[in-house]
Amino acid sequence: MANVLAVDDDQALLRVLRIGLSALGHTVVVASTGEQGISQAAIGAPDIIVLDLGLPDIDGMEVCRRIRQWSNVPIIVLSADGTEDRKIASLDGGADDYMTKPFGMGELEARLRVALRHRASELGEEESKDLTVGPLELDLVHHEARLEGRPVELTTREFALLVFLARHAGKICTHRMILEHVWGPHYGSETQYLRVYVYRLRRKLGDEKGELLRTNPGVGYQLVDEDAP
Amino acid sequence: MGTGRRGVVGSFAALVVMAILAAGMLPLRSHLSVATTALVLIVPVVIGVVIGGFTAGVFGVVVGFLVYDLLFIPPYYSLSVGKGENWVALGVYIAVMLLVASVVGRLETARAEARQHERAIRRLFELTDLLIEDRPLPEVLELIVSTVYEAFALRSVALVLPVETRLELVASAGAPLSDAELHEVVPAPGMPARLVGSTASERDQAHTVALSAIGRPIGLLHMWGADLTRYDQELLHTFANHMALALERAQLREQALRTELLEEVDRLQRALVGAVSHDLRTPLATIKASASTLRNTEADVALPDRELLLELIDNQTDRLDRLVTNLLDLSRVQAGALELRNQPISVSDLVTDALRGLGPASTATVTLAIGEDLPLVDVDHLLIGQVLANLLDNAARYAPPQTAITVSACLRDDGLVLMAVEDHGPGVPRLERTNVFRMFNRSGTSGGTGVGLSIAKAFVEAHDQQIWVEDVPGGGARFCFTLPTAAVPVVVA
Repeated sequence: MANVLAVDDDQALLRVLRIGLSALGHTVVVASTGEQGISQAAIGAPDIIVLDLGLPDIDGMEVCRRIRQWSNVPIIVLSADGTEDRKIASLDGGADDYMTKPFGMGELEARLRVALRHRASELGEEESKDLTVGPLELDLVHHEARLEGRPVELTTREFALLVFLARHAGKICTHRMILEHVWGPHYGSETQYLRVYVYRLRRKLGDEKGELLRTNPGVGYQLVDEDAP
Repeated sequence: MGTGRRGVVGSFAALVVMAILAAGMLPLRSHLSVATTALVLIVPVVIGVVIGGFTAGVFGVVVGFLVYDLLFIPPYYSLSVGKGENWVALGVYIAVMLLVASVVGRLETARAEARQHERAIRRLFELTDLLIEDRPLPEVLELIVSTVYEAFALRSVALVLPVETRLELVASAGAPLSDAELHEVVPAPGMPARLVGSTASERDQAHTVALSAIGRPIGLLHMWGADLTRYDQELLHTFANHMALALERAQLREQALRTELLEEVDRLQRALVGAVSHDLRTPLATIKASASTLRNTEADVALPDRELLLELIDNQTDRLDRLVTNLLDLSRVQAGALELRNQPISVSDLVTDALRGLGPASTATVTLAIGEDLPLVDVDHLLIGQVLANLLDNAARYAPPQTAITVSACLRDDGLVLMAVEDHGPGVPRLERTNVFRMFNRSGTSGGTGVGLSIAKAFVEAHDQQIWVEDVPGGGARFCFTLPTAAVPVVVA
């Protein structure tokens, strides 16, 4: 189980998080300001951080950015205003996932597990030549994709897009993230390219309903990891 | 009218002077030549013309003719003119007199006209000066019609502007318009508007000037009852441009204000949605997380922790309830439906009530410093209780956990009770001090209620009292407000 750092200015929620996550076997450290959160992240070396965006001293996004300067620890962002642009900005700013308050403890726990496993697979991925997400297998050496063993014909760009999503399987990738990594650093706002490529990919993968390659309206796309909720 | 009275005065003056001169010359008439008498009799006619204008002059000529013929041309007291040379004298007298009357009369008219022009120009310049000042649109409209009305001595003036898709009479001065005139300037849908000259109006002359600014039509200025000279019309057209520009500016200003207002309303609405959603979700998050933990069969929650979770659910439900109460109060304040039910109450009762409402968890760190022998205060205790609750809530939110929150009350020299809620949080920066009470202000990102403090302010101000925030020496914020004391009951010995 994991060492969780919870950063939120609401004392009541911190107490619930401590009790609830401890009961599920995690170790929980709490911080109620951004500064405290940053120093706890540095000192305590948590496995994962649950970070509220609305903090009294520093903006949660700034906390996220600062932690990212030295650490790759997974960060799940909590927000109470539920606006789309804050979500996108936090994901772009290095958060791994976001949740809108209120949320069930079960859902939070599941997201924690996904983020932890994802980070673990990323660490072991350096030498891996194959990626597997659910029924999908990607051979990075030969640029070949297989769905349930059957080969799928993909263009270079389609393959690159699928590899990017597979590397971040289970995580929501914002439009900007995908465009910057797959198309290049000068792209970021051309979401229409993405729509076209995602449409083609879904047809080739027999996923017209978007169950495997899921759309998060206004935010981005996500390759669904079967174990995730 | 002035000219009529002037005519009478002039005629009367001519008559009097004529009588005096005639009486003076009468005893000497046999010694005076016919020509000398005629020369002397020019004087009253000229006096009449100068005072009374052309009509008085003509009257003077007629009287002069009669006096000259009857009294000074033999045979006396008869209209017959004996000698032929006397005919010549009489004829020359009449011709010269008429000429003098007409020349002097025309001069007089020109002078009167010049005076009128001067007045019109002065009034119009005054108008331009007034229009340069930044006045609201309705005032600008009134200024324009009243100035034009006075400057050109009109019967009535009407200003017509396009409002949405039709013309509308927005301002008028002078005599009320007849129905026919109204129909003319504000035509029924599909009918042409009158632009130039007079049509239906038969009583007097009508005139219309189009007001346009930078090629854009602004409106029409209609005038009735004045014989406008070419000069007047030119003047009017020149100033029409000034009026149009002033109108356009006033209209644009109103438009800008409206846009600003809409933006502000929009901002408030978005802030309201944001604040409400944030404030509802924060306690909901704790309730949901607590309840789902309690239900989770996999979670191994110790018994004291179960108790704690249940207590949190309980507390946060109260917090939600307070928020909903605040929102309802807010809508009452906004609807202007706030009614005070004042009654004398002791300060310590007020504070005790407010603390009881907050629940045991929040009261742990509150210390009281209520002065002894405080008089009763005359307040609506529900509203002031809410003020205290909101201030305590705010202090609890910003103060670090386990630091003291102090509620104090003392009697000020001016007879008001000063209450204060003091915390040791980050305090409120000087620049933010008026802003914290603004609706949906959320300092930084901490996501406070945004509603609580503005409600506190509204309720305190409903009592005609003041609320403000100041620094606590050594760090922290002190929210202060005053309360009126109840009338001191007469002590019976």
